Amino acid sequence: MFIMKLLLWNGGKIPCLKGSFFFVVNALYYTIISARIRNPIAGDNTGITSRFQQKGVSEMPHNQKKSTRTTKDPAETSVPAPLPLNLSLEANLQEISRRIGDSSDIVIRKFNSESPHSLSLCFIYIDGLVNADAVNQMVLQPIMENGALNGGTLTTGAAFTLIKDHMLPVGGVKEGATLEGLLPLLFEGYTLILFEGLQTAVAADTAGWEKRSINEPTSQGVIRGPKEGFTESLRTGTSMLRRRLKTTDLRIEEYKIGQRTGTGIALVYLKGLASEQVLAELRRRLNAIDTDAILESNYIEEFIQDGGLTPFPTIQNTERPDAMAGGILEGQVGIIIDGTPFALLAPSTFFNFFQSSEDYYQRYDISSFLRLIRYGAFFVSMLLPALYIAVTTFHQEMLPTTLLISLAAQREGVPLPAFAEALLMELTFDVLREAGVRMPRTIGPAISIVGALVLGQAAVQAGLVSAAMVIVVSFTAISNFVIPSLAIANSIRLIRFVMMFIAASLGLFGIMSFLMVLLIHMAGLRSFGVPYLSPVAPMIPRYLKDIFIRVPLWSMDIRPKTNLGKETRRQAPHQKPKPAESANGPSREQQNPQGEGPA
Amino acid sequence: MKSKQRTLLCLILCLPLLSVLLSGCWDDRELNELGITSGSAYDWENNQWKATYQVINPSSGASGMGGGGGGSTSSPPFLTFTVKGRTIMEAIERTNLTSTREMFFSHSRITVIGESLARHGINQLIDMFLRKQDARETVFVFITQGEAGDILDQLMQMTKNQGAGIQLMIEQEAKLMSYYPGTRLYELAMALSSESRSAVLPEILLTGPQTMDETSETGVTDLPSRLALGRLGVIKGDTFVGWLSQKQAFGLSFLTNNIDSATLAFASQPTKSDKLDASFILQNSATTVHPVWDKDHYVMNIEVQGSGVLTELGSVMDLNDRKAIREMEASLEQQVLSLVNDSWTEVKRLGADVTGFAVRIHRSDRKRWKQIEEERSWDRIFQEIEIRPQVSIEIERTGLSNKSFKSVQQE
Repeated sequence: MFIMKLLLWNGGKIPCLKGSFFFVVNALYYTIISARIRNPIAGDNTGITSRFQQKGVSEMPHNQKKSTRTTKDPAETSVPAPLPLNLSLEANLQEISRRIGDSSDIVIRKFNSESPHSLSLCFIYIDGLVNADAVNQMVLQPIMENGALNGGTLTTGAAFTLIKDHMLPVGGVKEGATLEGLLPLLFEGYTLILFEGLQTAVAADTAGWEKRSINEPTSQGVIRGPKEGFTESLRTGTSMLRRRLKTTDLRIEEYKIGQRTGTGIALVYLKGLASEQVLAELRRRLNAIDTDAILESNYIEEFIQDGGLTPFPTIQNTERPDAMAGGILEGQVGIIIDGTPFALLAPSTFFNFFQSSEDYYQRYDISSFLRLIRYGAFFVSMLLPALYIAVTTFHQEMLPTTLLISLAAQREGVPLPAFAEALLMELTFDVLREAGVRMPRTIGPAISIVGALVLGQAAVQAGLVSAAMVIVVSFTAISNFVIPSLAIANSIRLIRFVMMFIAASLGLFGIMSFLMVLLIHMAGLRSFGVPYLSPVAPMIPRYLKDIFIRVPLWSMDIRPKTNLGKETRRQAPHQKPKPAESANGPSREQQNPQGEGPA
Repeated sequence: MKSKQRTLLCLILCLPLLSVLLSGCWDDRELNELGITSGSAYDWENNQWKATYQVINPSSGASGMGGGGGGSTSSPPFLTFTVKGRTIMEAIERTNLTSTREMFFSHSRITVIGESLARHGINQLIDMFLRKQDARETVFVFITQGEAGDILDQLMQMTKNQGAGIQLMIEQEAKLMSYYPGTRLYELAMALSSESRSAVLPEILLTGPQTMDETSETGVTDLPSRLALGRLGVIKGDTFVGWLSQKQAFGLSFLTNNIDSATLAFASQPTKSDKLDASFILQNSATTVHPVWDKDHYVMNIEVQGSGVLTELGSVMDLNDRKAIREMEASLEQQVLSLVNDSWTEVKRLGADVTGFAVRIHRSDRKRWKQIEEERSWDRIFQEIEIRPQVSIEIERTGLSNKSFKSVQQE
């Protein structure tokens, strides 16, 4: 519309093309509807499964094609054939330095026994990846100071057994016969021990590097609840989950993905709760990833999430181990990625993004209220500027007279049409927001001052925008931060602009049409086979206890199978606290709070 | 080859999408391009429509309901345009010759009809309101004796949006005083198209000789000329036939069950003196009308039942005495009865069935109504109608004191 305005600046009327417009909307609608009818939303578990399997089958060839294409490229990676170790220590060392170069952080320590012609060993580790104390005291010292080894009485084979089985006081000791097996261990902080005249080597786990300590999550804070967040270390992450889920059912599967980064990835789930189909599909998709680098969880997320062209996230990310434990307890599968504190949870429905872990840490009534506010904020954040544009440019009759007059008074002297005004202000806010993220912390206050000028009274007084528009933009911005998940908050940031554009060209009618299109799109989305809008569409009333409101914990007896886990009993029923029953009816003792024991 | 075709198909499908952008903006209007009309007035002059529009001037801060006046030198809260045309729409179109803004009628609150137009006939006006998309049939309709356009020029105190102010005035009046029910345009249309074919419109008038149309003039506490509600105009068919006085209008409100709350002045001791020395707030009132065919004419059995509170008493009286209360109730009933009879006499004289008796008769006796319609004898039958009003009023409470101050003095 704005472009049209520019073209016809003198305000000529644009010819009406209503007919063609209805044609397009109808065409759009029927295309989408018919596509959905072919894949109807499954209401029951079996339906979900069959749809899920169909999807898996159809995706297979696609992935194969991708993998063949990557391996064909010779420049991409050089895959050496597995090479057994040489008998000669010198030859092995040469081969290793040919493979990994003469990097300054690689330490090679040679050891020869005191007696002339017997044992010759070589220790290799990477400085910085190992704990120097551990290497010195657990590996070098016992071997170097051992009389039997120095005495030259042992054969090399006997020395190997002695060292591997008896002399290394560390937990992880492995042996390897090829460089392909040994070098990755080196990069994980193992110390390799190579023997002259032997084709096997020992690797001792001496890993220990500088880690960030456990801190409060920066992006998902709570008032009440655990204050620790994941760190960049995969092992710290899994240990946090272990500490929370002390059950034999907890499973942690590790993968290495990324040819150059070799990033460790852990699938964390509860056996028996997580759906086997989801797990199989996750494993398949993880194994199908053929890339050279995984630096953050989003790399994984983009490779494995369903429905590529959607603004909505279908995988949650969280920094909070308690949120992840909660998800795992509902049958979701956690994916922790080494090198980032943001872990993933899949499958996730639309409503998962509105659940904050704090909902369960405070009373259910206030949690329910806050959750409703979040849904309201979602719509405000998505629609408010669009509604403002639509109402002030097309539907002025909808406003109360007094409000209309005061809006009209504010618009006197504003140079831009409402849409351009809204677009300008929204973009300004997004610029400010981005600047706030990038800006060094020391000059942070500067941005709030500048922001207040640009998005505030000064802009109104300068006659650039109307005061109402500043309020609309500010409230929209604030509403966006109410939504607990940044992933879905960001997706509506984009939808908001589309909405504004449609509102400026089609008014409320356009907004409703686009909302319908969005709804149809969302109803068709799936996250690892779970309908994105379940349990609302398909409607399963008994699973609605934790969707729009949160019922008291003692009433959530059933674990919903919306995340495709099995429907299982979470707890014993009828746990609502009540006074102990006695034969004499209510007694004085029961009225006394001390008389009530835990049921 | 195939992909080329597909790209082409996609492009062709995208082309109509572009037209989506075209289609909507054709009727978009920015707020600062709108002339928000808060009231309109119509006169008939030299066989032409003469329309006056009151357009809000947003930059004067007309949204503020309070703080009017104060001798502000700012621009007036609204502007008026008077235009003429052979049809109403022609007149409206001509506003574009003088106004910078497009007329926007959705926020109109009132329409004033000049007596000249009311005598000429108002059906075309009603049709325009019902037909035009942005005209609101919820506007309150008034009638004025002189030039309707002059009413719209008058500034009001306490409210800057004059149209909204007049609406508030009639709504307050209908709620607290019940002399005139505010008539909205659709109610007018419904009444004129009902069996009665008659309607009433409250009169709006200027109390003083001159129009207060300068903002500096409203800066006095007691305006020499104000807008006020006057008599009740009676429309029959689509033309004006006469006036009912305020008292007769009040009586009509009893006849048509339009009493919300009203204050009645009455004689507390009708046996001793006719002096109106007491007041009573009628809080609840219900009227039922039962038409009965009595040989050759209709008899309307009208029952008025009301109750309320005594609010003022100027005679010596003991309110603990049930008999005294009963006496006062009888006086009140007499008062209402005379209002009703008075009103009926005038309505009968005008020959316009603003009482809605025709509807009652149609509902209670469809056969005879059919016959009346065929014979087109309603006007004659209406003149022969006899009303038998029965009023019963109850004083429920006597306020905070049970003796009149006069009797305290005398003790």
